[in-house]
Amino acid sequence: MKKYYPPVRTLHLYIGLFVSPFVLIFSVSVLVLNHAGYLNSVMPVKVLPVIKTHLDKIPYDTSDLQTAKAIIQKLEIKGEIDFISQNDDHISFPVTLPGEITKIEVNKHTNDVLITRDEDGVFRATNYLHKMPGPHNTTIRGNATFMKIWRVLADTVVYLLLFLSASGIFLWYFLKAERKLGWLAIISGAIIFTGLLLFILG
Amino acid sequence: MTYQTLIKKLTYSNRRLHIHIGLFLVLFIWLFSFSGLLLNHGNWKFASFWDERKEKTTEIVVSIPAGLDSIQIMKTIFSQLKIAGEVNNVKMTTDSVDFSVAYPGHVSNIHADFKTGTGIQKELSYNVWGKLRTLHTFNGANRGNADVEPNWLLTRVWRFSMDAIAVGLIFLSVSSWIMWYKIRQNYPWGYLVLIVGFALAGWFVILLKL
Repeated sequence: MKKYYPPVRTLHLYIGLFVSPFVLIFSVSVLVLNHAGYLNSVMPVKVLPVIKTHLDKIPYDTSDLQTAKAIIQKLEIKGEIDFISQNDDHISFPVTLPGEITKIEVNKHTNDVLITRDEDGVFRATNYLHKMPGPHNTTIRGNATFMKIWRVLADTVVYLLLFLSASGIFLWYFLKAERKLGWLAIISGAIIFTGLLLFILG
Repeated sequence: MTYQTLIKKLTYSNRRLHIHIGLFLVLFIWLFSFSGLLLNHGNWKFASFWDERKEKTTEIVVSIPAGLDSIQIMKTIFSQLKIAGEVNNVKMTTDSVDFSVAYPGHVSNIHADFKTGTGIQKELSYNVWGKLRTLHTFNGANRGNADVEPNWLLTRVWRFSMDAIAVGLIFLSVSSWIMWYKIRQNYPWGYLVLIVGFALAGWFVILLKL
């Protein structure tokens, strides 16, 4: 087994370095998600002025997503269409880039468009990325190129993180000087983990 | 102590902390990694949870003494129904109360009528996959009002654990840079790997909206 130590160490190091900025995104976003009230008080969302405009020839005779895509293309707005609400009179949807949400509402009779935009900032951008692609609106998720890339990257980061934790255990096992304290760390972590789950799941 | 000795001691401690914090967090990392994958892959058949949910509706009997305030009323109902969890969506009138109470994998929607002393409890229970999914997101956050704090002790404990894991992972990331920097001559590709990682992450977080 020891012959695998050098290549595993090299992989652990390089993969760890590559993944570390993404681990920062996921970790910072946990703090943002758990303390949204505090973030709102120190770094409120910046609401930009409302824009009213008009569009010609919106294709309503196709799928909701294609209609929404045609609208944002005409408006030259980029981002992921998160979900779409539509009735006989209006079609509305948010278009998101990490850290920026644009809400678009179109009057289907007049083609008048109302655009509102929120600047969320860097911290809420991590929050959005953490939640994506997520379990909701799966039929339209990945309608922007960046989301297609992020979907693959988010999965890759998780698999690499699993490799890092497994390879970390492998590397620790060969460090005799750290064996005792390492066992203590694993066992205490396991006790707290199990205890928490037992309590919280009833 | 000389500056060099101090640096040597700090880098040694950094390495030891990297190893032991990593080992301490390993089960938490596996839990959140796996549940994150479940959330992103709702189409995984083996992890189906919604179709396997169990629903139960029961009639309840509650006895609310007159003169109680809203908090006392809720406490009385909790005590009589022997329920616990994070309370949400409370709608109380002079005659009745509606609310939901949840813990990972289980939600109860309760309607209690003060005048008749009766009510309905609708329970929803998930299988292990559903529990894993809800553990990932169970932080007591109120979508409508971010200032509202969790109201169940165990939600606060779980949220604190999430914070601690996040801080631990931030430390593991930063400490890995320090460890690599010390041996960078042996691992020269580290510069490129780190720059590519930061460039990609920065593109998503900062550059995309410019």
